[in-house]
Amino acid sequence: MSNSDDHDHDHNAAPMVEEISDFEVLEVAVRELCIEKGIFTQDDHNQWTEYMHTLGPLPAGRLVAKAWLDDDYKQLCIDDPVKASLAVGVDWVNSMPSKFGTPSDYCNPRILVDEPKVKHVVVCTLCSCYPRPILGQSPEWYRTPNYRRRMVRWPRQVLSEFGLQLPEDVEIRVADSNQKTRYVVMPTRPEGTDGWSEDQLAEIVTRDCLIGVAMPRADRKVDDKRHVHKAIHPYGH
Amino acid sequence: MIKSHHVEKATGVGDPQCFKGEAGAAKFKVGDRVRIRNLPDIFYTRSQMYLREAEAVVVKLVYESPPAEDEAWDNTDSPEWFYSLLFKQTDLWPDYPQKFSGDTLETELSERWLEAV
Repeated sequence: MSNSDDHDHDHNAAPMVEEISDFEVLEVAVRELCIEKGIFTQDDHNQWTEYMHTLGPLPAGRLVAKAWLDDDYKQLCIDDPVKASLAVGVDWVNSMPSKFGTPSDYCNPRILVDEPKVKHVVVCTLCSCYPRPILGQSPEWYRTPNYRRRMVRWPRQVLSEFGLQLPEDVEIRVADSNQKTRYVVMPTRPEGTDGWSEDQLAEIVTRDCLIGVAMPRADRKVDDKRHVHKAIHPYGH
Repeated sequence: MIKSHHVEKATGVGDPQCFKGEAGAAKFKVGDRVRIRNLPDIFYTRSQMYLREAEAVVVKLVYESPPAEDEAWDNTDSPEWFYSLLFKQTDLWPDYPQKFSGDTLETELSERWLEAV
């Protein structure tokens, strides 16, 4: 151990991950067992992992923008969301490497269409069901027990914590995704977007709008820089 | 490569699409009022406790599938109809504000969990 006043660099590099959770250990153990038993191969696993990393919320945002501009397409989103998803490049059955989904990723999407007086919001109280093929990985907060317990019980309060204050005359409809349907919210088209193109509209349909915890706004785009609140009492001062 | 019968059936078709036509006639139709049964669930279920014994309206017949209680054990012998059900929030939570009596919750349950009101 060196003295504080010399500058010997004999310390070890800090590990990138200090510890892994029990669940991560379990995942590795089960995965390795599955490969050993021939249930799937390492290549299958790589292919699946790479596929999951290609996913994100852009196709669902595009779907909503198209539906805002085309009533026939909007009706298709309601009647046959699997077919409607093809128009934004998502094949719920065949995009996935398994060609049928997984025990969690089922192929039964449903688009919940908001109305001026009805607001939908999605939660999975069981765990983390999420329309991954069209929306990517769920945000961390979506999987927390806090969100899952409270969204069904106190939806208005939880939405207000997300900054969405619903007027009293707007009915809220919580969708608990507890079986094989995967919900996507189609919010209402906001004011100030008259004459906008599909590309412009798609830019304001954020992931949170598609889960239902936010409403799209003409002045807020998916890739906007977020406002940074400076600390009042910065550390070390 | 080991593949279960379920995988073969669902590949290129989708799950729950692969069980279409296997549940027989649906016992309930859109608009029916139902009560959620409080069945035992010793091993596995996806039917939440907060829904038990509450009343709801059938809003959509969504698909046919083995219920989760069977499928968890790879038993796909008896698919059932699944229903999307609409609950009033004030029916689910005793202290939900009456001011917001229009607020609702929608979720799905399989036929075995429902009884006619």
